[in-house]
Amino acid sequence: MALSLENLVVSHAQNALLKVNVCVNDGEILTVMGPSGAGKSTLLQAISGQLHAPFSVSGKVKINGVVVNDKAAHLRKVGIMFQDALLFEHMSVAENIAFAMPSGSYANQQAKMDTIDEMLGAVDLKGIGERSVTTLSGGQQARVSLLRTLASTPDVVLLDEPFSKLDIALREQIRSWTFKQLKERNIPAVLVTHDKEDSLAAGGQIIELSPC
Amino acid sequence: MFAQITRIVRWCLLLLLCIPVLAGLVGVAFPALGYFPAIGANTFSLDVFKELFARDDIWQMVWLSLFSGVGSTLVAMAGAFLLLASFYQSKWLSRVQGLLSPFLVFPHAAAAIALLFALSPSGIFARIAAIGTNTVIPGTSDTLFPYDSGGLSVLLALSLKELPFIILMALSVMSQPLVKSKLSGYIKVGTALGYSPSAVFFKLVIPTVFAQIKLPILAVLVFATSNVEIPLILGGNNPSTLAVAIMHWFNHIDLSMRLLASSAAVLQVAVSALALLLFLGGERIVVYVGKIRLAKGNRRFSDGLVHGAAYSIVALYVSLISAVVYSVFMFSIAKQWSFPFLLPEGTTLLHWNTAFEALATPLSNSLLLGGLVSTSALGLVLFTLESEQLKPAGLNADRAFSVSLFLPLLVPGVAFLYGLVWFQQLVLQNAVWFHTYIAHMVYVVPYMFLSMAVAYRKFDNRYAMVAQSLGKTPWQVFYYIKLPSLFGAIMVAWALGLAISFSQYLPTLLASGGTIATITTEAVASVSGSSTRLTAVFVIIQGVMPLVGFVIAWYLPAALVKQGSRVSAVEKKSRAVLHGA
Repeated sequence: MALSLENLVVSHAQNALLKVNVCVNDGEILTVMGPSGAGKSTLLQAISGQLHAPFSVSGKVKINGVVVNDKAAHLRKVGIMFQDALLFEHMSVAENIAFAMPSGSYANQQAKMDTIDEMLGAVDLKGIGERSVTTLSGGQQARVSLLRTLASTPDVVLLDEPFSKLDIALREQIRSWTFKQLKERNIPAVLVTHDKEDSLAAGGQIIELSPC
Repeated sequence: MFAQITRIVRWCLLLLLCIPVLAGLVGVAFPALGYFPAIGANTFSLDVFKELFARDDIWQMVWLSLFSGVGSTLVAMAGAFLLLASFYQSKWLSRVQGLLSPFLVFPHAAAAIALLFALSPSGIFARIAAIGTNTVIPGTSDTLFPYDSGGLSVLLALSLKELPFIILMALSVMSQPLVKSKLSGYIKVGTALGYSPSAVFFKLVIPTVFAQIKLPILAVLVFATSNVEIPLILGGNNPSTLAVAIMHWFNHIDLSMRLLASSAAVLQVAVSALALLLFLGGERIVVYVGKIRLAKGNRRFSDGLVHGAAYSIVALYVSLISAVVYSVFMFSIAKQWSFPFLLPEGTTLLHWNTAFEALATPLSNSLLLGGLVSTSALGLVLFTLESEQLKPAGLNADRAFSVSLFLPLLVPGVAFLYGLVWFQQLVLQNAVWFHTYIAHMVYVVPYMFLSMAVAYRKFDNRYAMVAQSLGKTPWQVFYYIKLPSLFGAIMVAWALGLAISFSQYLPTLLASGGTIATITTEAVASVSGSSTRLTAVFVIIQGVMPLVGFVIAWYLPAALVKQGSRVSAVEKKSRAVLHGA
């Protein structure tokens, strides 16, 4: 019962754009499919609280049983990932992850850095903490990007076509790794994609959006 | 909380731009209608206007303002479009841009003085022409430049100064991601249909971007019809343009002349408005004729002519710039340099020493004022842009905002600044620095906003969304993500603000009542002084000062990046070692 979208309707001006009524359990990955322009990304923005006028939302977005419709985006604990890694280029790898960690969650800076080293080590990226993010390969960037999202201890993770820019060989590897990480942490997730393979690998419910 | 602060700042910015202009207009409207208690004029009437229109030379002044203003804007616009049409797809574009960019920050006063050095009857070109001929300076009565009564030299100087501005405005519109991708599609389609490069430019590119550069061009037009420095330095005196006359009347010892000046200021607003109407009317005709010609489907657009004109313009700029640099530099170190010799007789550093002694205070005034104005304007502009992204305004509010943003550029400065001074003397008589600060802000904020807005729109907002989804407040997103990502653009905007503040002549002179001397006010004053050589030093200092800001703007981000990349250089080495193993 972690993320539930109850009679959620997203409208542009007065016209209803999409309707969703679905429940995503802890550790489940809901796949949202549909043609371009069906409002897939708009749905994610509605969940994360980043939808501005002229869009409007009715119905309820519940996270762990709490309605978050009126909560500001940064208070919702909803992590979001795009097809680009979007690592902050003025920060090193470790700084990117440290930036995401909730402040006050570690006794001191050293404890924080040790945790980051551990996280990187666990995904075969040991020792790259000091590197500037522009020196990383596409696959490394994708992994750091997910680590960054996980470091913020989100209640929900939204994935906006996160694998579409990776080449085929890398794609499968990053995909199964990402899903494994989310399931291990019991995080409910919503995946938006064009790719049938993605939806099969996600293994959760699949909803098809059609323009209404 | 942060969102509310940005919204308040947005309102502050709007009020900062609108109040001085509107107060200034009211402040000239009252004296123009005969109400000026300071000299005992307490009754409203139209007598002042009657007196103004009874003058013999008033219509000639109006004509000069209109002719030089409208003419120079058209010439500058035509020149800018010709250059763009020839170079917009070639590798030369960046070089042309580099050649013209310094003009943007070169003060109008300095540009006018510099042209004087190059083109006057004893200037460097006349010296070159006089090689092997007579050694007498041609009489000043029969020459075209400077001080011609027809206003042609003013027109020429204004066009030379405004052309780079229009080009850079057009390029900044054309480089916006959305426009850029649209244009590159249009260019491909046009070329595939067999249209020549200049035909593509005039028939597809210009119609697409013109709507977005219209407002800056209108600002240029108003500026050109009401500018004071250039006609003051290069224009004829019998009569002068309306703006110069207004300045003389306002500064007349006889305070009653203020009434006449105020009515002329109101007339100046009408003249600039008429220029705008003429321009907009002309635009309609061009659009109408253009549509007919579009349908005809001519594949060529006098390509040879366009290229020829473009190369001539570049040649003109190159020769003028080199002539100015040469003669100004030589004059600044010349002991004596009489006509028609190409080299001065003997060199000395005397003028530089004199200048530095004389300029110590103006220099520190300029820097202090510029630093204050530019830094605070930057804060206002950044918060305002942020408020737009946090809570986008409606379409109408947006339109109202951009008109108010351009208000100080669309109302002639010579008209509202005097009224503003009148108000400021009523409210806070002795806060000279504050008044000057406000007068500068009115001119600095709009340009800075335009410059920053381009960078802000280019910023990939998904970075902000990611940071927000990591639990960061809007302030943290702004401070930790946007500011560092936009650091380069922010520094350039800051340098631009500094340069614009340095170049202000009339706002400084009026708002401070002449008590705050800056490099620019001193340079203009020196033209009527005795030493050409000292003036040359002033021009050099005026030209170099804005560059200082830009050098900082270019160097600082690069230096910071280098610091960051030292780590990665070490890594690369260790990686190489790993690969070797």
